[in-house]
Amino acid sequence: MIYSKKYANFSFSLAAVLLIFILSVCPAFADKDTLILAVGGENTEGYDPLLGWGSYGNPLFQSTLLKRDADLKIVPDLATSWELSADRKEWTVTIRKDVKFSDGTPLTAADVAFTYNKGLESGGKIDLTPLAKAEALNPTTVKLTLNKPDITFIQHLITLGIVPAKTYGPGYGRNPIGSGPYKLIHWDEGQQMIVEVNDLYYGKKPAIKKLVFLFADEDTALAAARAGKIDVLGVPSNLASQKIPGMTLHVVKSVDNRGLMFPIVPDEGKTTPAGVPVGNNVTADIAIRKAVNYAIDRNALVAGVLDGYGRPAYGVVDDLPWDNPAIRFKDNDPEKAKKILEEAGWTDTDGDGIREENGLKAEFTVVYNSKDSLRQGLALAVSDMLKPIGINAIPKGENWDRIKTELTHKFVVVYGFGDHSPLEMYKLYHTPSSPEPSYWNAGFYSNPVVDKYLDEAVAAKSFKESIPYWQKAQWDGKTGFCTAGDAAWAWMVNLDHTYFIRKGLDVGKSQMEPHGHGWPITSNINEWKWN
Amino acid sequence: MELKSELQDTAAGDLKCLRLPFLTALLYATAKFICRKGARLVLLIASVATLSFILVSFSPVDPIDAYLGPAVLKVSPEQRAVIAHRWGLDEPPLKRYEKWAGNLIQGNFGISTIYNESVLSVIGKRFITSFWLMLMAWTISGLLGFIMGIFAGAYESGFIDKVISIYAYTMASTPTFWVGMILLTIFSIHLGWTPVCGAWPIGMEADQVGILERIHHLLLPAVTLSLIGVAQITLHTREKTIEAMRSEYAIFARAQGESRLGTAFHRAIRNVALPAVTLQFASLGELFGGAVLTEQVFAYPGLGKATVEAGYRGDVPLLLGIVLFSTFFVFAGNTTADFIYMIVDPRMRKRSCGKRGA
Repeated sequence: MIYSKKYANFSFSLAAVLLIFILSVCPAFADKDTLILAVGGENTEGYDPLLGWGSYGNPLFQSTLLKRDADLKIVPDLATSWELSADRKEWTVTIRKDVKFSDGTPLTAADVAFTYNKGLESGGKIDLTPLAKAEALNPTTVKLTLNKPDITFIQHLITLGIVPAKTYGPGYGRNPIGSGPYKLIHWDEGQQMIVEVNDLYYGKKPAIKKLVFLFADEDTALAAARAGKIDVLGVPSNLASQKIPGMTLHVVKSVDNRGLMFPIVPDEGKTTPAGVPVGNNVTADIAIRKAVNYAIDRNALVAGVLDGYGRPAYGVVDDLPWDNPAIRFKDNDPEKAKKILEEAGWTDTDGDGIREENGLKAEFTVVYNSKDSLRQGLALAVSDMLKPIGINAIPKGENWDRIKTELTHKFVVVYGFGDHSPLEMYKLYHTPSSPEPSYWNAGFYSNPVVDKYLDEAVAAKSFKESIPYWQKAQWDGKTGFCTAGDAAWAWMVNLDHTYFIRKGLDVGKSQMEPHGHGWPITSNINEWKWN
Repeated sequence: MELKSELQDTAAGDLKCLRLPFLTALLYATAKFICRKGARLVLLIASVATLSFILVSFSPVDPIDAYLGPAVLKVSPEQRAVIAHRWGLDEPPLKRYEKWAGNLIQGNFGISTIYNESVLSVIGKRFITSFWLMLMAWTISGLLGFIMGIFAGAYESGFIDKVISIYAYTMASTPTFWVGMILLTIFSIHLGWTPVCGAWPIGMEADQVGILERIHHLLLPAVTLSLIGVAQITLHTREKTIEAMRSEYAIFARAQGESRLGTAFHRAIRNVALPAVTLQFASLGELFGGAVLTEQVFAYPGLGKATVEAGYRGDVPLLLGIVLFSTFFVFAGNTTADFIYMIVDPRMRKRSCGKRGA
């Protein structure tokens, strides 16, 4: 009897305890000074700009030399003036005098120089390799010397958060000291991060005193939003059409694009040094690439695959300041596509609905990351759109690692790009500098005229002056990598980034976001307020 | 049972039936037991470490790509070389293994690439959170499973048995995360009784959090884990109870008018308890696996979640560290079970002694 009594007592008391806890309802957080955000992306390695924190969105705890406003124009942050030397290799930047780190120590040019030099050797997610060295000339002036002219280096001035030289060390990422609008108060790894307004911030102080970033996966965050616990929630567009009580949908335009990468060189049995096969005889024909571009109905892709949350993409940098509007064309034009194919000698001689030319079938595999349902949807839809013009595009889901290591130079791949720096365009379309380009220019596209424009853009005197060259690389009236030119890619759609926002919260004008959803929405967090 | 034979060796093998006083015998056996287990542990860890390292080195995941994530498009080959150097990836695998194993012996598990922190400190932080979850689930499932098993066994083929068995069989084949999601939908979203995620309320700092709030957040994940964990213990206890209930002493008790439940609790329980205890300790491995999934569903920041992250994002040092840690954890569970067996069951010593002496 001893056993049974013990167990019976225990289980009874256990049940009672459980009941009590079930009935004690968690108090809702209704504090107006506090916002709870679930926008994904915990930076598990810590909030250290030298390891890459802030290169998307906004470093939040640190400030940068320059920044981009809501229209993506470059405006000063820490810097008061900045200029590029005549040989275009030296940036001289003057910084504000009144800036303090959140621990009260002043921020000087020495800290800026330290940040850049240290970042060069840190081995993180930022790539400062164009930099030769950084020096502080006096407490407010810093000189950054590059190895060779590279105007795209300005992106680092915009994104790299400045860290204090004195206190920076191995544990910095878990205890970041910076001069940004907020400071880190508490971080429960894997769960949440609490930040508070930095009283020493020199700029416009944010109206929201405290932010809680919740790190939960999509389903959990959605569940928490439904339970009324979240004020800002980032969701994929396929979840955007639902209703969440007390929240409204906030749609942000982005240059987060998806396109078909074409191998440009023919298959001659060659491989890269790592042994990845190169080339595709079908897509090496410009007629095929143009026909695909004209035949795709981009509006239908937006409506059908993105549920309307997006816009057609005609290039890789749509609506960014360095976009060339002349590259737009009328798509969903199967007649034009057929004409191009006929003229190039692609005809259906055996009556199977697929065109041939000299015995080669107009057929290629479209590879996509099998985990990404959006890319799958695009690949399937495009395949259907190409059938009527006699091109057989075979969609195939593959493991992402396999795509990169075995397939990327031989097959048509659904990729996504979109950055706030035109450097990306350079990497995608400039003749590859290494025989192993990986994701960069995977199709081995090469056009000497385009290369010339891209090189001129990079060597320009100022960012403003580089813009016409970026635009000419896309299309200069005669040639370029856009559809009218070499049709190196078939860009399909630009996504919208979708957020649910608590009613009454004003998040101001959101920047057009780059590839990567979530953190970028905080780029104007100083302007957020309750109505 | 494999377990028994080993215990016979360890506990009583060389006692040569000296009929030593109980305490001395026990101490002797314990010392021997610890030595042997220690040697086994060292061997086990060494082979697990080597095997895992080999497996990981064949992984198709490129650790640098996995680390970079979307930034992969912004990083040049030169920068990749800097990263590879920071992590020592620029050396051949054999050299890396030597280095890693060498550090390991000195107690240095390396630096986690995704947390940029020492592996031991990542495991330490995460394990504390997981520990409470596992402890709670382990206790609930052990107690409930044992009681349910005895009831089912006592009333073999009866109504109670059918209900319990169906429940146990269903749960034994139900994925943990699925149960978690169902519970989450019902109790957290529709009823709002339990929190949706995390180890304590959103926006609160760890030191402000009371024990009640922690338990409140622990409840649903722990219940999820126990609902599933209960099945194994129930089914095994049921089998053992049935066996015991069919034994002569049980039949004798019944013949003298003892009720089914009385027989089960008074007579059978002694024979059933030991296998249950063993099973309960041996189930730590499953508990660990279950916690991985449960923590994922409830965004509970424990070791399970870190394991998934480490796997997805190619954090080799952390993954290997967790593998070794879990090896140790499961080993400790099994050893505890063995040890309890040795202490609690005097028959083990006597029986084996008799055999050898004969």
